[in-house]
This record gives sequence, structure tokens and C-alpha cells, in this order.
Amino acid sequence: MTSPEDAFARAEEEVARRRAGGGYAGPPGGALDSSLVAEEPSREQLAEWAVIEIDPDEVLYSSRVGAPLTFFKRLLARLLRQYLVELEARQTRFNIALLARLDRLEERARMEEEAGRDSARDSSG
Amino acid sequence: MTAVHQVLSSAGPYDAVSIQGLLWRRLLRARGFGGHDHAATVDPRARADFRALKELRAEPGDLVVIRYSAYSPKLLPVLALPNRRLLVYHNVTPPRYLWNHHAGVAVACAVGRTQLPRFARAADLAVGDSDFNAAELREAGAAHARTLAILFDAARLEDRGTPPVPGAGPLVLVVSRLAPNKRHDLAIAAFAAWRAERAPDARLLIVGESLSPSYRAQLERIATGSGAGAAITFADGLSQRDLNAAYAAADVLLSMSEHEGFSVPLLEAFHFGLPVVARPAGAMPEVGGDAVLWDRGGDVAVTAELLELAVRDLGLREGLARRGRARLEQFAYERTAAATLRAVEEALG
Repeated sequence: MTSPEDAFARAEEEVARRRAGGGYAGPPGGALDSSLVAEEPSREQLAEWAVIEIDPDEVLYSSRVGAPLTFFKRLLARLLRQYLVELEARQTRFNIALLARLDRLEERARMEEEAGRDSARDSSG
Repeated sequence: MTAVHQVLSSAGPYDAVSIQGLLWRRLLRARGFGGHDHAATVDPRARADFRALKELRAEPGDLVVIRYSAYSPKLLPVLALPNRRLLVYHNVTPPRYLWNHHAGVAVACAVGRTQLPRFARAADLAVGDSDFNAAELREAGAAHARTLAILFDAARLEDRGTPPVPGAGPLVLVVSRLAPNKRHDLAIAAFAAWRAERAPDARLLIVGESLSPSYRAQLERIATGSGAGAAITFADGLSQRDLNAAYAAADVLLSMSEHEGFSVPLLEAFHFGLPVVARPAGAMPEVGGDAVLWDRGGDVAVTAELLELAVRDLGLREGLARRGRARLEQFAYERTAAATLRAVEEALG
């Protein structure tokens, strides 16, 4: 009998033994690993999100039971396409402009920090 | 008659926060308190028990209990009421799990976390339903926040329906909302590895409401791609009777969750004498204690071997069941009900 305290170590040993024999050949992680962002979204992630482009198939999915309603919603989205595309474009315009301004502010802050370090080095030397 | 009103950001038929609201109401009513339960958003299936927040009518002297689990702008006017407030914090999911899966819920969680200090400061008494949650409350500014464990009503687990899964073979049960922080993808991967390596007749039953239909579809694709899709059943909208039957039919409860403010399914598994394999995330260790096979690694093959031990090692199963019963005593209804009433009296002033 294995005690609860020993179970994890025993499981690890068994996995190592089986892997040596060609078992447990799959990856150790899960399918969602790459989709979970870090604590703060990265610059690249923000740039990706800035462009608003919604695929109706992604948001208007439903079960077989809800299929007629989903069909109607997709039809509605198609009828409103001109309006929705304009909405997406204007939001994207704002997002991209804001991101560009953020980049410039970060660059300015970086240059001022460097200048501050240089002048401190000059005065101490 | 003194009234105690409860306010939730959203109320539904199955979520843990709404169920706690119902259990508190039953207790409060039994002790002679009046009042009603309200939510900013009410699922049509919960309309018999919860009213719209705009219908809240608190008289002077009434207590307002705010159950905080997500932000809703409709909650803010509650802070302007002259009544005394008891804040019950159930935790808010870190948005990093949600940005790529449900932008709207991610925003609600992000704002929910940034707004928590505002609610913490406005509370006359603040409690978290675990030490993990109470610590977050203290960080948010409620210096004297303490732990008040949930009400665990074992009586609701007695009535049995039909287990919603066909076939024979060892049954692995996962009970939690289908959301990225619960890491059902890891549960599926571990199950598929166990099935391929050790238990070709094993079955996996995943019970829970989904964050969205598209997220459920994504998990179904992951299940199909795992090679064990035919042995994996997703079930939502289960009645309590059918969930009880699933617990009774299962051989092990599996949780790969990375963020848990409490985890009622642990206690439910202990009630059914079911061994548990889980990751020690958030409040899980303080709820499960020494009665769980903790998966401290990041390798689903090791999780698969823990499933093997939990299902096949009869001595281990008996030991875990014994420890689980001891853990349940920590959460005995009489004990937590008395603590709940003391908190209500204290908050009333």
C-alpha cells in the first residue's frame, strides 16, 4: 500500500521507468498552455488585440439545439456587416494610434533614463 | 424584524456563490432574519430565488451582505447605501486566464480585482471563505479581514438520480466550471495518457457549465484530439440528484485547476469517500489538507500515475477516505453555521 505522502514520488518513479521503456511518449503539458497570457499582456499581445476583427463563427457558436437561433444571429450579423466593419475599423484606428503613442512615451522615458544615468556618471567622474 | 439582504454580481442555478447565497438565506430565515437576495444579473433559471438588484429595498438598520466574485457597475450604488455592510469575498479569477478566451469576462475580472479595495474599505466587516481569500482581502485594505468557511450542506448530496455516463470501467470525474483557469485541457491530457498506458476501459466525465459555447467547443476539440474522445463525456445542466449519482459512480475526482478560492467539489468528494487527485492551487491545500493526492509537478504522465494509484490501490483509497471524513468535520454545518451567525451579528453592530 502507498501512503498519500509517498504517492507523488512513486508516480514520478513509475513514469521514469515507463518512459525508459518507450511509454508515456506524449507532451507533459496541456493544449491551452500557449493561450494563457503572462500576468501583464506583452507589447506583441497588445498589438494583436489592437486590431479588431471578429469572426462570427467564433462568437456565434451554439449547440445543435440552438442552431436555428444561431443561424438567425449569423444572418443578422451579415445584414449589419457594413455597420459592424465600420465599428471595427474605428475602434482599431483608436487602438493603433494609442499603442503608437504609448511606444513613443516608452521610448522617451527610456531616453531620459539613459540621459539621467549619463549625467550622473559625468558628475561623479 | 431585522433584515439581511444579500447582493451578488450574478446569480445562476449551479455556481458555488449562488448556492452559498441560498444556504445563507435558509439559515438566516431559520434564525428569524428577513430580507431578500439580489443580483446584478440573474440567470432565468435562478429567478425563483434571486431578484434584480434594482429591486433592493434596504430599510435603516438592515444589513447588506455583498458577495464579491466579479465586478459589476451595478454593485457600486450598494456602497452608497447608509446600511452596514458585510463583504464576503469568494475571489476573482485573474484575468490572464481569460484574455484570449473571453475578452468581456476578462475585463470584468480585471476591473473586479482593481475595484476590490473600494469594496474592502467600505465594509463594516470583511470575510473571505478561505485563508487564501482572506489574505487577498487584507492586501486590498480590509486590515481585519478573517476567514469564514462556507456552509457545506451534506443533506443535499443524499438524493441520487442517474449517472450521466454510459459504459463500464474506471470513471474519472471532473466537477468545475469550464473555464481556462480550471485547466480541463490538462485533465483531458492526463486522462488520455492514463487510458493509453494503463486503463484502456477508463472513462472521463466532465461536469460543469461553460464560460461560453465556443470555449466548450474548444475543449471538445481537445478531447477529440487526445485520442480518448470516445471515452470523454461533457455534462452541463445536471440536477443535484444526477451530480450526486455521478459522485457515487465515480472512482476518483480529478482537479487540475490552477486557481481556486475554495473548491466545494473537494468536500463533496470526501462526503462520497471518493479519492481526489488535485494540484495544490490557491485554497485547495487548506481545504483538502492531507486527504488529497497532491500533484505538485507539471507532467500529465505523473498525474496519470496518481490516477492509477488512486483507483487501484485499495489500501490507499481507504486511507484517503478516512482522512477525507476527518477533513469534513472541519467544515461541519453546525460549526460553520454558528460562525456565520456570529459574523452577521457582528456586522449588524
